[in-house]
Amino acid sequence: MLRMILVRLALTVPILFGVSIIAFGLMRALPGDFVLAAAGTTAVSDEVLAVTRRNLGLDRPIWEQYGIWLGNALAGDLGTSFATKKSVVSELLPRLAVTAELTLMAGLLAMLMGATTGLASARLRGRTDWVVRGLNSLLLAVPNFVVATLIVLLFGLYFPTIGIFNYVPFARDPLGNIGSLLLPALSLALTVSVTVSENTRAAVLEVSSQDYVMVARAKGLLARTILGNYLVKNALTPVITVTGLQLAALLGGSILIETIFTIPGMGQYLFDSVSRRDYPVIQAIVLVSSTIVLLMNVLVDIAYARVDARVSYD
Amino acid sequence: MTGKPASLLEVRDLTATFHRDGAPSRVVNGISFDIAPGEAVGFVGESGSGKSVTARAVMRLAPEGSSIEWGGRIRFQGQELLSLTEREMRDVRGRRIAMVFQDPMASLNPVMSVGAQIDDMLVRHTGVSTRAARKRTVELLGLVGIRDPAIRADDFPHQFSGGMRQRVLIAISVSCQPDLLIADEPTTALDVTVQAQILRLLMRLRRELGMALMLITHDFGVIAGMVERVYVMHRGDIVESGEVDTLFAAPKHAYTQALLAAVPRIESTRRPA
Ligand SMILES: Nc1ncnc2c1ncn2[C@@H]1O[C@H](COP(=O)(O)OP(=O)(O)OP(=O)(O)O)[C@@H](O)[C@H]1O
Ligand SMILES: [Mg+2]
Repeated sequence: MLRMILVRLALTVPILFGVSIIAFGLMRALPGDFVLAAAGTTAVSDEVLAVTRRNLGLDRPIWEQYGIWLGNALAGDLGTSFATKKSVVSELLPRLAVTAELTLMAGLLAMLMGATTGLASARLRGRTDWVVRGLNSLLLAVPNFVVATLIVLLFGLYFPTIGIFNYVPFARDPLGNIGSLLLPALSLALTVSVTVSENTRAAVLEVSSQDYVMVARAKGLLARTILGNYLVKNALTPVITVTGLQLAALLGGSILIETIFTIPGMGQYLFDSVSRRDYPVIQAIVLVSSTIVLLMNVLVDIAYARVDARVSYD
Repeated sequence: MTGKPASLLEVRDLTATFHRDGAPSRVVNGISFDIAPGEAVGFVGESGSGKSVTARAVMRLAPEGSSIEWGGRIRFQGQELLSLTEREMRDVRGRRIAMVFQDPMASLNPVMSVGAQIDDMLVRHTGVSTRAARKRTVELLGLVGIRDPAIRADDFPHQFSGGMRQRVLIAISVSCQPDLLIADEPTTALDVTVQAQILRLLMRLRRELGMALMLITHDFGVIAGMVERVYVMHRGDIVESGEVDTLFAAPKHAYTQALLAAVPRIESTRRPA
């Protein structure tokens, strides 16, 4: 088990290396650069632009820029924001915490909603199944930013007193903080909850028809024992896997959701930085998010092995 | 004892009808049979003849995801099972009537240790604590011939061979000392040498625990020497029944003759000429 974890962690290194190249290259492939974006519509002479570029190191060959950046990144220094002139790490960390909280809340909500509806759908069948699956198709067809926009509109029109744009920092008011993230987390969770729900449903149906469930019934066990120890325990493995893999979707979705609800998280930071072509920030965010997703995958594998005794990585 | 012993299980005009997409299909057509206390009775018939449906009817176990309707009467120890509530039926299952299924590879919960799968049944029916149950579990595993039972109890099903798993399943089924054990093709999925061991184990436990046995098979070879009486099933009907030896010597029904003909060696192995 330990060996498996170490191997999996070691494997993330080359992947991250690839990610760093892509992150670096993609930014520079975008039309325009920071200097042009900063200049905006004001007329700036070419000399000024050239000087600014030199100051930022943007005049060097791209592989050299990459080398310097990578070297610093390995030492834990993700550079300085072009726009704010502050260290990216110090700007990113508090925002990362906000995004992590939002994503975690959304993940929990998605798991809760998905698992309950999927389980109900598979066990109760009939009308419940019909309703759940109908809702799932509907939610799947509507992107989460549309849901978020609808929520914003609805609350803005009918409950203007509930300030949905008032993000409350955790340090100031923990409960208020969670409250202020609830609606954004919900709109972020909906699409993922559909995936979890459909997978739970399929897994429970699959497990229900297994012989060992019939054996459990023949043993005269109580319905709740069969549900917990025979159905859910077995259906858990595929559900954990999909939920874990959906984390990437949640992280991606948080960019839009944070922008819509004006939450000062990593997503909004990324959005702003892309429009400003603030390369160091963008690269840092891509690298950090990729690391999180990769680590989550390792965690999923560990959870997998813990739940299912048949899974052994040695 | 005066004459025939009172019935343990008395089934009259049992029907089983599946309802799928509104169209009912009857797969058991009003069969009647008896099993006396401690008696071993065989049910033979080709695939699809309704043996498993009959066995599960006695346990009132509907296959998952399909709707089945039972008719007739199933009296067990004087109690009408078809009119019990589901809750009352749960006290009968495992406690008074237990069942061993055909496929040991699929019949154990892969994410629970085998010991835990005996513990939960003991806890359910005898009300002991899990800790106290474990002691009995280890005894039971020893009883069915698992070596180092105290250690093996913590192993998971995938660490056992097919034959060993069937032993575990037999341990589960006899754990609460049922009065009737239904074995639905308990050896079909196993290879021949293991088959004989499992059958011997079933016979021994039946004797030691004084259980009645309803042994289902499509193989007359398995029935020989195991049971006292046989019911022959064909397309949801019992077409012939009687003492094993009588039936073997002079099968009346054409279908029974055909079944026997499919086991050519049976005469020579039983009574070397
Ligand atoms: N879940 C189900 N839904 C609909 N029909 C079923 C279902 N299970 C069994 N049947 C039908 O009931 C009939 C009897 O099946 P049963 O399983 O009792 O046969 P069997 O004698 O046990 O055969 P085998 O030797 O293959 O186990 C078959 O025609 C089968 O198609
Ligand atoms: Mg069968």
